[in-house]
Amino acid sequence: MSTTTPQKSKRRKIDYHELFLQIALIALGLFVALPIFIAILTSFKAPADVINYPPTLLPNEWTLDNYFTAWNSTPFGRYLLNSFIQSGLITLAQVTFSILAAYAFAVLQFPGRDFLFWVILGSLMIPFQLTFIPNFIVISDMGLANTYAGLTLPFLASAVGVFLLRQFFLTIPRDLYDSAKIDGAGNWRYLWQIVVPLSKGAISAFAIFAFLSAWNQYLWPLIVTNDNLMRTTQIGIRYFMTTQDRGQDWGAIMAGAVIVMIPTLVAFLVAQKQLVKGIAMTGLKG
Amino acid sequence: MNNTVSTKITDAETTVPRINKRRQTVKATLEGLLYLAPTLLILGIFTFLPIISTFRLSLNRVAPFGNQTLFVGLDNYVRLLTDPDYWAIVRTSLIFMVATVAIGIVLAVGLAIALSVPVKRLSWFHRLLIFVPIVISSAVTGVIFRWLYHPVVGYINYWLSLVGIEGPNWLATKDWALIAVIIAVIWNQLGFNVIIALAGVQNIDGTYYEAAKVDGANVWHRIRHITLPLLSPTIFFLTVINLINSLQIFGQIDVLTQGGPGQATTTLIYNIYYDAFVGTPQRGIASAQAYLLAILILVITLIQFRGGGRRVHYQ
Repeated sequence: MSTTTPQKSKRRKIDYHELFLQIALIALGLFVALPIFIAILTSFKAPADVINYPPTLLPNEWTLDNYFTAWNSTPFGRYLLNSFIQSGLITLAQVTFSILAAYAFAVLQFPGRDFLFWVILGSLMIPFQLTFIPNFIVISDMGLANTYAGLTLPFLASAVGVFLLRQFFLTIPRDLYDSAKIDGAGNWRYLWQIVVPLSKGAISAFAIFAFLSAWNQYLWPLIVTNDNLMRTTQIGIRYFMTTQDRGQDWGAIMAGAVIVMIPTLVAFLVAQKQLVKGIAMTGLKG
Repeated sequence: MNNTVSTKITDAETTVPRINKRRQTVKATLEGLLYLAPTLLILGIFTFLPIISTFRLSLNRVAPFGNQTLFVGLDNYVRLLTDPDYWAIVRTSLIFMVATVAIGIVLAVGLAIALSVPVKRLSWFHRLLIFVPIVISSAVTGVIFRWLYHPVVGYINYWLSLVGIEGPNWLATKDWALIAVIIAVIWNQLGFNVIIALAGVQNIDGTYYEAAKVDGANVWHRIRHITLPLLSPTIFFLTVINLINSLQIFGQIDVLTQGGPGQATTTLIYNIYYDAFVGTPQRGIASAQAYLLAILILVITLIQFRGGGRRVHYQ
């Protein structure tokens, strides 16, 4: 790309096109991210400022009032805690169980292994709406509605995780396994002391992916919680919006939205590369 | 004496390893199953078993008064397929699906091509801006767009007024509500689609471009005659993934319109939720709808495997 320099005039010409594209792109990029900027900027506006017409992008004066309103009128702290527990449990379990299963599929040898692998992959073909009604009935019959167990149980395993990690474990040379065996290490030790440290990148990429999709879950937490104190952030913001909307307090609603999306924005900024790579590799969103 | 001793030894030599080997196989199998147990257990209980339970539910109906459950066979399915309201929901879903997928992919491919134009200094920033919607949840997307669509002080109608258009009351008007939801969903999915499209664009062998440059082709020529044709497998893959995803969109609808006004934005998945969980639960007919939707998704998935599965590039 940059190595070839044919006739100068031709390069110039192409550069103009590219310059135009770049300018168009800045505009487009800002346009794409604009709803997020608007949410953030609105959350810092004073109440009267929020419903001013015509709406301005920047606050006339910056204030944190909306955050106090949101925080005090609804248990956002509790929602955040619930979401962290729910997403943390799901991530921890999915990562651990996927490591174990992936190891069995990539390294161990036993009859029926490949069949079971296809069974697990096959679960990817089953859409969520085919399972959530009976799952709800089972969970609520067990008395687990409005509990962390109820929020997390159906999601503790991940076929995507098993598949991804298996693909990665397969790239670890078999010689390592053989020499570990000679040194007297069993499977358990080989897995945790050699395979897992070697796969840190893949495991953490999957962990971020699992955490984000758990954090952003909507339908399941909506049906499995009706106790306000057990709601996750996503369901909390939905109900907060419907109550505040009547008072037209959109500043506070946007403050709530910002509180809900901060953890995901931070995760995105920290792990943009892994996340993008993971999506490009699997074509899956979670 | 010597003879018997020696035969005994050879006997032992042949049978002991065989027993050992069998024992080892049993041991290896047990060990393997132990590693798989948590995953198999969870998927078994919460993914595989419910397929059967949902089907059983779909054959029943709860009597209008009381908790009496009646076995009605396939009557729920018959009812649905002969109900014009259900077909209206199917129609809404299909419009929603085609619009989000078609517009979403055209935008994503356009952006991906533009992003791949090599000016290194800015690309990180661009990508950041364009990818960021992928981490915004369906609920927050709904909340933010509800604000943008605000009929009185909303930004969208204000911008429209700048170019002389009087914006509608988006979420309260029948036709506009569906369009409003479609726009929000396209925005929410954009980052995901651009990432996949970009991976496809970057997979294209750079030598094609070099050759085209030497031949004097400009950017637009290169896009039309090299990028787009070579991107077709990616576009196909994106189409299928998006078709399936769009049939499962729920959060944005629930926050923006709750299926309304009337049933203007009630899609198949939203109606399943509504029938199963809102008001008097009608889990039988909701389960039948879940099956019908699953069949639709399965058909699309099968098309993917038969038509383009081979051409999808995993790394």
